[in-house]
Amino acid sequence: MNPKLSAYAHPDALVDTDWLAANLDTPGLRIVESNEDLLLYDTGHIPGAVHIDWRRDLNDEITRDYVGPEGFAQVCRKNGITPDTTVVFYGDKSNWWACYALWVFQLFGHKNVKILDGGRAKWTAEEKPLTREVPNYPATDYPTPLERDDTTNRAFYHQTWQHMLAKKPMVDVRSPKEFSGETTHMPEYPQEGVLRGGHIPGAKSCPWATAANPDGTFRTADELDQIYTQNLALKKDDDIVAYCRIGERSSHTWFVLKYLLGYDKVRNYDGSWTEWGNMVRSPIEKGS
Amino acid sequence: MYPPALQDIIELFEHLPEQERRENLIVMSDGAKRQEPKEGETFDLEDVRKDEECTDTVGVYLKVDSENKVHFAITLGPLVQTLTKAMTSILCRGLNGARPEEIMAVPADFVPRIVGAELVRLRSQTVYYVLGRMKTAVKMYLDRKRAAATAGA
Repeated sequence: MNPKLSAYAHPDALVDTDWLAANLDTPGLRIVESNEDLLLYDTGHIPGAVHIDWRRDLNDEITRDYVGPEGFAQVCRKNGITPDTTVVFYGDKSNWWACYALWVFQLFGHKNVKILDGGRAKWTAEEKPLTREVPNYPATDYPTPLERDDTTNRAFYHQTWQHMLAKKPMVDVRSPKEFSGETTHMPEYPQEGVLRGGHIPGAKSCPWATAANPDGTFRTADELDQIYTQNLALKKDDDIVAYCRIGERSSHTWFVLKYLLGYDKVRNYDGSWTEWGNMVRSPIEKGS
Repeated sequence: MYPPALQDIIELFEHLPEQERRENLIVMSDGAKRQEPKEGETFDLEDVRKDEECTDTVGVYLKVDSENKVHFAITLGPLVQTLTKAMTSILCRGLNGARPEEIMAVPADFVPRIVGAELVRLRSQTVYYVLGRMKTAVKMYLDRKRAAATAGA
């Protein structure tokens, strides 16, 4: 195994580009692309990869929630995924949306999930093959999960409120200017409807990008340990909540903490700043 | 309301089934490179910058011919989204040859008719960005022209 990957707490949660290139036709493996760029998959994707869109496939817009168990099962069925399928996620933006999709799969208890280290950017930079051919896999009979587990990996507003009152560790993974309240939008993005700038009281700033190399790969286990365990002083048995703006960047950090560093109790507050920052009477802090 | 060429594109796209619409947007995206300035081409105005709300540099080049018709060329950095690339091709085709006042009067409400409601959403709002930049370039051109006329009067 790639020595970089073997140093992580859960090495099986990552694959590298060479491994994936050699396993494109491996039975029982499904490659899933999840992007922010809505049409990027259509311009070319890893051969055999299917497209799962964070909003169309995973969100329920009516309830502002995720799809329910039957909706999740339908996504799996139409993409030829069974409960035993190993799903390898990759995408743009250093795998933000790949981690987000993996996180949603975890809510429904799908066990065999992995991230392609470096995502789409590394695959294309290495000039590995891309195709516009959309695969058509036979539909499966993926059984409807009994429930969506919203307790283990997900935090809601009121739980985050209690977390704040209890002064438990909370990681704000947005950019420093979003954290301080200097700006109400991400760098390089338009304003997305946030009324106030700042952060949840007690949260510590640790931008998601500190966990990533310029090529989109994750930093080494030692580097991540320095960032989160040493600098941020997170302990292995801490109850940790991560948040960003809508839960995609914090999915990246959630993956790092849970799978690469092995923290047991890490939850993603997907309501994030678009909920907390806009909620009436929700307290905030400004400044760094 | 819209310049005729843009009106034609709107009518073409808004009647396409979703899959064909996506395929045509990809074709448009593939053609974005063809909207770049040709070697040796000169312009009345060049506005090349990286705005904070956009992922990469966008350059808008504008010239106005003797019949007061506007011609655009546009360069896009590699990180610009596919949908924005597609809209660049569409806008260059749809607005080239229009008069400055016609371009300034184009409302942005045609964008969902071309792109489809499914694709205009959170994290794809830069689909409006290129139109804004093109209008800004036209406004800068008109302002300079007025200033020059005032100075010469």
